This record gives sequence, structure tokens and C-alpha cells, in this order.
Amino acid sequence: MRNKLFIYLLLSFLLLIFLAVWSLYSGVFVFEKHSFLEIFNGIIANDGSIDPSERFVLMDLRLPRIVMGILIGSALAVSGTCLQGMFRNPLATPDLLGITAGASLLAAITIVLGSYIKPYIPEMLHYSLLSIMAFLGALLTMVLVYRLSNQGGRTNIVMMLLSGVAITAIGFAAMGLLIFFSKDEELRDLTFWNLGSLAGATWAKCGILAVVIGVSFAMLLNKGKALNAMMLGENDAQHLGIPVERIKKQIIVLTALMVGACVAFAGTISFMGLIVPYILRLIFRSKYNIILPLAAVWGSILMLTADTVSRTIAPPSEISVGVLTAFMGAPIFMIILIRSRNQM
Amino acid sequence: MLEANNISYAHRKFTILEGIDLSVNPGELLVIVGPNGAGKSTLLSVLANEMGKTADPVIFKKKTFKEWDDKELARNKAKFSQSNNSDIPLSVADVVMMGRYPYFSATPSRYDHDAVLTAMNETDVAALKDRDYNSLSGGEKQRVHLARVLAQLDNDVQNKLVFLDEPLNNLDVLHQHRILHTIKNFTDRGNTAVMVLHDLNLAAQFADRVMLLKKGKIVAHDAPEKVFTREIISRVYDFPCTICANPVNQNPLIIFGI
Repeated sequence: MRNKLFIYLLLSFLLLIFLAVWSLYSGVFVFEKHSFLEIFNGIIANDGSIDPSERFVLMDLRLPRIVMGILIGSALAVSGTCLQGMFRNPLATPDLLGITAGASLLAAITIVLGSYIKPYIPEMLHYSLLSIMAFLGALLTMVLVYRLSNQGGRTNIVMMLLSGVAITAIGFAAMGLLIFFSKDEELRDLTFWNLGSLAGATWAKCGILAVVIGVSFAMLLNKGKALNAMMLGENDAQHLGIPVERIKKQIIVLTALMVGACVAFAGTISFMGLIVPYILRLIFRSKYNIILPLAAVWGSILMLTADTVSRTIAPPSEISVGVLTAFMGAPIFMIILIRSRNQM
Repeated sequence: MLEANNISYAHRKFTILEGIDLSVNPGELLVIVGPNGAGKSTLLSVLANEMGKTADPVIFKKKTFKEWDDKELARNKAKFSQSNNSDIPLSVADVVMMGRYPYFSATPSRYDHDAVLTAMNETDVAALKDRDYNSLSGGEKQRVHLARVLAQLDNDVQNKLVFLDEPLNNLDVLHQHRILHTIKNFTDRGNTAVMVLHDLNLAAQFADRVMLLKKGKIVAHDAPEKVFTREIISRVYDFPCTICANPVNQNPLIIFGI
């Protein structure tokens, strides 16, 4: 099984690299030189053979956007998979539980009220402030939803989904209030959150995301066996030598961290945490030891594809990637609901 | 082997267990019996360290559970629980393989696969190994989890301990006896089993010692022939009964209603 997993991972990585190159060449701006190597040689040599505008599009627009898409897709898919393992339910995803809403609510408050303190802090901290607030929002929501829906080691699915609905409603109401009070520029930022987009990608954001995701993955990706065992119930998993309480705490904090960072930089890109594990489950059933590492790569693949389509399908403008993922995710949500109808 | 003193447990001011002392020796098969609501399952949960803190800690092999390493403890003790989660979208073999989780980190070894196969043969589920767990009947699911528990304790450790909470529910007569023989074999090799059973005659036939509970207190805790007497049983179950010697093996035979 280990070798098979390695082969699947390798093939998925190759597909991801292929997609990244395809994405680099897609878009309204067309490069003069059509070979990948030529362009990069020119940029690295810095010999003036590459037009500054080409250089700008490549290095400051497309490449950071591709990297951010890869990072965010991966983070959201892994968060979704971990939450589903912890809640023992395929509907547990950051957006349906209201965690995304909690994160974007605090992020929105930071945007509107943050303008009063922004002049006094350095620019690097702007991003960090936003991510920290989004992280706090995600963490608070996560703890609340978990407390409400966990009854003696079992998940009350109805409570889980309804507390997500309630928190999303609060977030929606507060967002409306903030839109009413905000100035023009803040309004644009807020709209960007609600729809979700990778258009604001910069290398600084990619750097923060890479650190957050690196730390989280190092601790989460090897938890597949533990999540399998937790399907038996928490007590039985404990009897198998799994430190259930510690793993639950890790999942809660680290997914909140990842979702917070993603929301802070790309807004609410919905359903990513639902689609990827669903597709992987169709092939590998619920073997978390396989689908957890694969979700990390397939999240990137799906996100990158969706983003590239979203910015090329209606040139010269682009549609929000959140709209695309919602179109893919909503039918899957319905399918899972219909399938689990008997257990509700 | 396993020692506990003065176990008490209350849920929202409602006393479930009160002042229970117990000590189980290596190689002993202890069966806990009692009417509904006697606290049998709760006692098993407390002994198996599922309830968190107790006033006086349970001592297993001269150490409290807190002093044990998680993995090491999993190789020394296992528990079969009554409430089986119905939704596990995995194959039967995958579920049984969970019993080997304390033994490998990423890839199961050949020995792990062997242990899974042996355990599945023992509980007669080997033919189901590629079936979807969710498609099984209640009794089959029960046997899959028993196989998982057996696979977990398949190792070279001396004096292991297994807790079984009504392992025979939903099983037909053949499988009831097969499972009990498996457990008896397990204890004959110096291991210990603590089991909750409803069927008094099976308890009389297989147990080394029997603990009879009523309303959270011990009524009797002794060899089966001393616990299963007409006075004690008809008083505790509040139902008339006759007890005679089983003509085949001379164990107490309990006949209710007469």
C-alpha cells in the first residue's frame, strides 16, 4: 500500500507541475518567446532579452498567483479532510461549519476598523494582523461548533450543520453592517472577501502561507491512521493507543491556522474542503492514511485548474474563483446529503 | 494483575457505582453479571480507563494507567465495546487491521497481515474480508470487532488483559460458543479477561469467577457455584428460579420461571 501511495503521489505531482506550466502561459497577456526555458533563462540572466512588462507579468502576477493557488488549495483540502476525520462525517468542512465565516468576520472587522491603526504599524504586519485576526475568528468558531456538536464522543450531525448555519448568519449580518459603514476602498476589499479570489497574490503572502502550511502539514499529514481509528469512536481509538485528545487539539488549532491564513489572503473560497476528499473517497473509500496526503496534492490541482479557468474564461475580465468552486461543490454537497439521509 | 479499590461513579448526582473493590489474577476469566442498570458496562468502562479520573486509580500490572505509555498499553490491554459505530466506510480487512495500529507506523508488516488473518479465522469472518463493513449484519459486525481486538493482542507480551462488553449480543449459538472458547484459550495462556455477560448459564460454564452486581453494588463475587445459588439469583433478579447441576458438566444450571 505504501508503494502504491508513493506512485499516486508522484503521478499527482507530475500532473500538478504540468498544470502549473499551462497556467503560466494562459491568460490575456501573451509572451513573445514561447519556450519555457527561454523565458526563464532570460529572467535569470537578466540580460535585457526579456521585456520588463513580460517580466512583471510573469514574476509579479502569474507566478505568485500560481504559487498561492497551489498553497491555498492544498491547505483547504487538507483542513477539510482532517475536520471530516475528527467529526466523523463527510460534511464537516471549514465553510459548512461556519469556520470560514468566523474567520472572514474578524478579517472584515480588521479591514474596516483597522484603518485607524494601520498607519502606525509596518506593512509586513498588515498581512500578519489580518491573518492573526482571521485565525482567531476561525479558532473561536471551531471550538464553539465542536463543543455544540460533540456529545460524549459522538458527533451530532444536525447540531454540527446548524451551528455552522447560525455562525454564517451572524457573519453575514455583521458583514452587511460593515459594508454600510465602510468607505469606498474598504468596500472593494470586503466584496473581494465575500467572493474569494487569488487576484491579490503577492510573494509576501505566499511566504506567510508557506510557513503556516509547512508547519501544519508536518504535524497533520501523518495522522491518517489515527483518523481511521477515530471512525470506531473516540474510546475505541484510545484503546488502540491513539492519543485522541492531543490529536483533536492539534487538528483544531492547525486547521484554524490554515483556514485563517487562506481567508485572510484569498477570501472565502468555498467547498474546496468538500470536493477534494469526496472525489478521493470515491476511489479509496475512507482510508485517511491514503486520502490525507493525496488531498494535499489534489487540492492544489483543483484550485489551480479552477483559478486558471476563472481568469481565462471571460477575457479580458475574470470571474471569481469562489463562484467556480461553489458551482462544483454545491451538487456534491447535495449528493452527500442524499446519501446520508438515513443517518440524520 | 488488575486491581481497583473503592470504585464509585456518579452521573449528575445519580450514583451508578458505589464502593467496588476488585482484584483479578493472571489467567482468570472474570464474568460480570447483573440485571439491567446494575452498572456492569460502567464498571467495565471505569476499569478500562475510559472515564478519565477516578478517586483511587486502577492499577494494571503495578502501574496506574497514567504511568503507562499509550502504545505499550495498547499492546497489553484491549477492549471490545458494545456500541459499534455503524458508519465505517472501509473493508472488513481494513477494520481488523486497525487492531495492528500499535505495531506499525506506516506500512503493516507481514506479521501484521498474518495476525489479521488469524484473528479473522478465529471469529469466522475471513470469508467477509473484502466486503464493505457497512453492508454487514449486526452479528457479523460484532465478530469483525472481536477479530480486531484479537489482532490487537496477538503478540509476545505475557499476561495480557482484555475487556469485553457483552461480546455475544446478536451472535448465534455456534458463534457464541466459538467466541467463548477463543476467550477461554486466551486466559488459559496466562492472560486475563473481564467480561460482561447476560446469559447466566454461559457465565456458569466458562467463568473462573463471577461478580454479581445490583444497583451499583457487589452482591456476590466468587466462584460460579457459590454465586449461582437459588436464594441469591432469585433475590437479585426478583424472579423465581431453580438451580441444579448440569447433567453433562456438573456446572450450575439456572432455570428461570419455576
